[in-house]
Amino acid sequence: MNLLENIVGATKEIFETMIMMEITPGDALSESVTEFKGSISGVIGLAGSCKGMLAIHLPDSVAMSITSNFLGMDVDEVNDDVTDAIGELANMLAGNIKMVLDVAGNKVTLSIPSCIHGEEYTMGCVSDADWVVVPFDTNAGQFLVELQLQCND
Amino acid sequence: MDLDLQKQIIDSTQAVFDSMLMIPITTGAILSEKVYTFQTSISGMLGFAGDVQGMLTIHCPQNVAFTITTALLGVDIDTVDDDVKDTIGELANMVLGGIKDGFVEQGIQINLAIPTVLAGRSYRISGMDDASWTTVPFHLNEGDFLVELKLKTNK
Repeated sequence: MNLLENIVGATKEIFETMIMMEITPGDALSESVTEFKGSISGVIGLAGSCKGMLAIHLPDSVAMSITSNFLGMDVDEVNDDVTDAIGELANMLAGNIKMVLDVAGNKVTLSIPSCIHGEEYTMGCVSDADWVVVPFDTNAGQFLVELQLQCND
Repeated sequence: MDLDLQKQIIDSTQAVFDSMLMIPITTGAILSEKVYTFQTSISGMLGFAGDVQGMLTIHCPQNVAFTITTALLGVDIDTVDDDVKDTIGELANMVLGGIKDGFVEQGIQINLAIPTVLAGRSYRISGMDDASWTTVPFHLNEGDFLVELKLKTNK
């Protein structure tokens, strides 16, 4: 199960078809990022024969830019439109990953997304699941997609 | 299906605190307004899916998190370190595990995801508003913590 390929594939597809924004994937990070400032994180859980968590972490400005593209309207502050959009983005990415996992013979269902916004927060998973963090560049800045996953053998 | 979420939350949380932590807690009145913003707090979040989907979150002010961690690990804690985060994550796991058992008695099956722990000086959590939510405060000497259960049924 190549987590990296799946994340890159899922993210590119969502951005090309739903958000209409160019993104460039970077190399998977060798260390998890857990500290965030002036940022938003959309998270959603995966459960079933695989369990895990998908998160998308974006600085405020990148989140606003993505929301503007997604909703087709200008957004200049982090309001409910932005947090709903980022929660929905996490939902769509996880949905894509779920499909890939199910095709590979797993049975995965998604929880509901939550969105965190703060001036300064840390966020980390409490488990020894496999994890991958991939940075993506956009013309508004960089965001990260993080997937933690543990599958039953 | 008629899930008494408030009762599920109270029963499970009380059981965890009585048997695992040995800390006396009292239950407060269910909140009528959502709490979104937290300062100097730690929130353990755990998603679940199956017959219903949702997320359980435990919000603890820092000192309350320290007290709980000290009780679980038997060491004095005064900074928000991995021990504290692991404890709050594990707390979410245990409380949701109890709720899962309660759901099974009602014929509802769910699977748990893995816990995520959030900590910070100031943060705001929002979720999709089409989920039903129930938040119960619990009181111990050092302060209150909240157990929030968000649930969405399949249409």
